[in-house]
Amino acid sequence: METATLIIVLVIALALFFDFTNGFHDTANAMATPIATGALKPKTAVLLAAVLNLVGAFLSTEVAQTISGGIINEEQISHDIFPEIILAGLIGAITWNMLTWLLGLPSSSSHALFGGLIGATIVGVGFTAVNFGVVMSKVILPAFIAPVTAGVIAFTATKLAYVLTRRYDSKPDGRDGFRFGQIFTSSLVALAHGTNDAQKTMGIITLLLITSGLQSASNPEPQTWVVFACAITIALGTYMGGWRIIRTLGKGLTEVKPAQGFSAEASTASTILASSALGFALSTTQVASGSVIGSGLGRRGSQVRWRTAGRIMVGWILTLPAAGAVGAAAALIVVWLPVWGVIIDAVLAVVIILFLFMRSRRDEVTASNAMSEVADSGRAVKVKRNPPPTRRQRALARDEARRVAAVEAAAKKAAKAAGRSENRPKDGGPR
Amino acid sequence: MIINWLAFVQVFLAAFISAIVVVSFYALGLRLLVRAGRAPVVAPAEFTDAITVISEKEARRAEKAAAKAAKRSPLTDGQKRFALVGAYACFAVCAAAVLGGLLLIVFNH
Repeated sequence: METATLIIVLVIALALFFDFTNGFHDTANAMATPIATGALKPKTAVLLAAVLNLVGAFLSTEVAQTISGGIINEEQISHDIFPEIILAGLIGAITWNMLTWLLGLPSSSSHALFGGLIGATIVGVGFTAVNFGVVMSKVILPAFIAPVTAGVIAFTATKLAYVLTRRYDSKPDGRDGFRFGQIFTSSLVALAHGTNDAQKTMGIITLLLITSGLQSASNPEPQTWVVFACAITIALGTYMGGWRIIRTLGKGLTEVKPAQGFSAEASTASTILASSALGFALSTTQVASGSVIGSGLGRRGSQVRWRTAGRIMVGWILTLPAAGAVGAAAALIVVWLPVWGVIIDAVLAVVIILFLFMRSRRDEVTASNAMSEVADSGRAVKVKRNPPPTRRQRALARDEARRVAAVEAAAKKAAKAAGRSENRPKDGGPR
Repeated sequence: MIINWLAFVQVFLAAFISAIVVVSFYALGLRLLVRAGRAPVVAPAEFTDAITVISEKEARRAEKAAAKAAKRSPLTDGQKRFALVGAYACFAVCAAAVLGGLLLIVFNH
């Protein structure tokens, strides 16, 4: 019994650590665009993101219930083995997260978590223990649909924002005002992050409590202490991750215009909030990246850099199976060596975390490793410095050219006439 | 395996409509502010190298062009006041949409 309790405590600690890394990783999701446009000082942005993540974690528990009450068929799993399996899944998720971070590959903490959990369950218990219907409809399909959705919305919103404020009479267009609006939209993104990402860890801990008999399966809602612990941890992680962003001093960021940033943030926030309300567990990183790419394409004279965009998309597709494989490997150790396996896994987890920590101290902090792929995805779209004119601008230019030509022709005619009248006395003068 | 495709459509529509409402009303509000002669000037809180800084000469030229444009189409005080009220109304719609959405999420579970 005592070892079982010990394992549960260990798993909760690891889950909270995962929550911390999730916040640490994702500060830039909400705050990359407002920092880039200068809407917020990095310090203010980070503090705001941390506080709003905390608030967001309390807003909705739909996503947590998707994880604790749907993905895995708890009744098929015996109570003694399940904590070990969650442990294995978490190790898979953390390992994959660390690996992609070190190699600079785009990744998603959420999909690493699901991949690890599903992989470990398949190996540890069997295929029937995973409820593939729920996994498909609430995890895998949203993973593909959500970034595209966010991109389409951001594209439309950016076009609208530019069209509605475009002026043809060289009066100021007031687009500076979007910079002020960005303070609110980026806050909404941070809030939305709390409603989706903090929930994932709550779901894992609740799942653990249910399977180990500490909570009844009929009530998959997370307990209050779980909600508080996860909310505080993710806020802390967000704040710590923000310090790295502050240290980059905004160097090496992709150029984002306020109107574009405003639209991207509005579409990210609305996509995540709508999904959270329906219990879809999506990757906030991917949604934010999709929005940034979509809003870039919404500007005039934009072009996709397919190489960068392709690299980001490969990362999106690869995360789930790769984390699944690592989780499965960790679960194999547990299954082969009942007691020693847990110890080996726990030691592995500690080694990985320590390595991660040492490595993060050694590296110099630059925009490329602190800003995550959201800032990176800005580079997937190239915008010309002098965009081609709109149809109305072309028409105005044509009119202007015609007017200038007419004036010039009149001037020429006048000059000619003047020349003739001047020359005439010369011609006839000497006679 | 039953996949609830309707839920995806719901998420898309909800997200699309709310984002478009917020962005277009905010943009419209800015446009009306300009019309009211109160073009918003928001300086960056911190200059990152992602911001293209215009030179002083360029800024002066833009200002001169703006003044010239304002002289060409002068609005009466009434029209300006009307535009200002419209601008604030637009911003109010934005705020209401955001608050409404959040309340819907909080009280709907």
